Amino acid sequence: MEQAQTSASVASMDWWRTLPDRSDFVRDRAVPIFRYLRRNRLMIIGLGAFAALGLFVGISYLFYSQVDLLGEEQGVNGLVRAASVQANQRPSWNPWSGFPLGTDVQGRDIYAAVVVGIPLSLRIGVIAAAIGVGVGMVLAFVAAYVGGVIDAVIRTIVDSLIPIPGLLVLVLVATSLNPGQGLTVDQLAFVIAVLAWPGPARVIRSQVLVIRERGYVEMARMSGTSALGIIFKEMMPNLAPYALASFVAATSGSILASIGVESLGLGPLDSPTLGSMIYWNIFTSSVLLGLWYWLLPPIIVLIVLFVGLFMISAGLDEVANPRLRRRV
Amino acid sequence: MPSKYIVGRVGMFFLTIFLASTLVFFLPRLSGRDPFREKLFEEAQRGGYLEDVDEIAAALNERYGFDRPLWQQYVSYLGEIARFDLGTSQFTFSKSNNQLLAETLGWTIGLTFISAMVAFFIGTGMGAIMEWRRQNTGLLAAMAPFLMMSAVPYFIFGLVLLTVFWFSWLQAFDWELFPPYGAYDPTVEEWPDWSDFRFLGSAVWHATLPALSIVLVSLGGWAMGMRGMMVTTKGEDYMLQAEAKGLPDNVRFYRYAIRNSLLPQLTGLALQIGLIVSGVVLVEIVFTYPGVGGLLVQSIRNSDYPLIQGIVFVLAFCTAVTTLLLDMIYPLIDPRISYSGN
Repeated sequence: MEQAQTSASVASMDWWRTLPDRSDFVRDRAVPIFRYLRRNRLMIIGLGAFAALGLFVGISYLFYSQVDLLGEEQGVNGLVRAASVQANQRPSWNPWSGFPLGTDVQGRDIYAAVVVGIPLSLRIGVIAAAIGVGVGMVLAFVAAYVGGVIDAVIRTIVDSLIPIPGLLVLVLVATSLNPGQGLTVDQLAFVIAVLAWPGPARVIRSQVLVIRERGYVEMARMSGTSALGIIFKEMMPNLAPYALASFVAATSGSILASIGVESLGLGPLDSPTLGSMIYWNIFTSSVLLGLWYWLLPPIIVLIVLFVGLFMISAGLDEVANPRLRRRV
Repeated sequence: MPSKYIVGRVGMFFLTIFLASTLVFFLPRLSGRDPFREKLFEEAQRGGYLEDVDEIAAALNERYGFDRPLWQQYVSYLGEIARFDLGTSQFTFSKSNNQLLAETLGWTIGLTFISAMVAFFIGTGMGAIMEWRRQNTGLLAAMAPFLMMSAVPYFIFGLVLLTVFWFSWLQAFDWELFPPYGAYDPTVEEWPDWSDFRFLGSAVWHATLPALSIVLVSLGGWAMGMRGMMVTTKGEDYMLQAEAKGLPDNVRFYRYAIRNSLLPQLTGLALQIGLIVSGVVLVEIVFTYPGVGGLLVQSIRNSDYPLIQGIVFVLAFCTAVTTLLLDMIYPLIDPRISYSGN
């Protein structure tokens, strides 16, 4: 009886097994990953936090609308307008006035600003992290593969950059590029990427050194596989968890850096990213003025975002280091 | 022997300083902007008077030496940096950058040093006890919120503290628990007098919220790192032997487990200093602390390149010195490591 029940529940959980045309990829990769995820609680919580933010943004984009200055009901575009246009309204907090989270000192709809700000801030993080991990990975492979002087040079530069407070270098870059009214969102992402590569380069280089000595790499080398073939066919798949973990860490670091740069007033001040909301809050000392309802939404979203990314990267750590798996 | 290690490490230090000063010199100059001209234009437009702006800007640039070729500027800049002369601010005329930094740097260093040390020692201790008393699951549960917090940036947490401990407190009890800004009560003294207990008390009181926002956030990371190291150390043979010898629990804990687990924590501290300093600068802005952070914001708003350069260089220098010192005391703490050059 009990056995029948468990098998039934397993069968219902494994519904995708009954799909008629499941490919080798699904059977060999996706299914084990999915099964493993069910055990990795940290990752589930982190992904859940992200899913919650995604749902919040998505549902708001679909269903939230605001009456714009001309008195027209606006959907998605109206949301962007509501988040960036001065609506000439006093800062207020009254959930029944049509602005669910109130309005800020410029009269912008705080709810709309948060909904528009989350994807913008994530975009900065993802672009910067992608560039950083890409550059870091290339440098790591070059350093670990070529070795000798080039390795020493890359390692020395990476090591000597680490004691320099990154935020301050980014401040220099951002002030120098600042065309008067602030950078655009994508420009800020490229600025952040300037310092996003040393971390990934360090982590991946040490992993490349370890993996290079593994048996299967030796085997591939002996059977005459070219260096590029070894890198892309043998080493990359095994580096994937590390690369992914450093990507998540770099995303978190880049969002942190972007928020820092923006809070100093160097970000895209006309786009309602979470960081520029924080900047305007600090600039007008909103807490001292009693405008807590303006400060809390971006803060709560940022905390969910950072804790979620932290959980995902801790979960990925567990994937990358099987030694940790047994402890959980 | 260690001498080779020390020479290498000091060489690394000078390389870092050189890289930092070079970055600080070239990055702002990439833009090709002329802050004097921009500022003068701004002022002229405000006053509705647009004559002679180019001449005044050119004269000012000549006086500051910004009209010389880049390499000449760079060489003389390196000479000034070597003498710790950080130049003159473009928009704070009566004071040199050195004076401005001397007024503010003490607050920043004090806040950073004290809160980083407090967080390091409490966090490390918590992590060690957590693993040593493993059967006590209450400790682990108590650590969970700190772990969550460790993912949040200092200044974001500082804003939370400001909302909770200043605003909400004021609303709820009609009473200021902690002051929301500044570093000391301006009614106590005109200028810091550290021998005055009233001033000292107000300074500590004002620093509490900024320091808490750094300490509470960093605790979790140190605790987790220490816990991980204690797991490894507890599995070592010498721990088993110490237990077999019948050494008391506290001797094994302090003299065997902690001493052997502490080293990677120090490495972690050396790697984290840069991040901590970046974080502290932002915390200072949140709490309007009179440290380097406020000066930085002001210089950014003015596009005051020499001052921004000076601030960035001084902070990079301080972190590099701290990292160097930490790496230097390394061999003293762990005599097992012989730095034979490899």
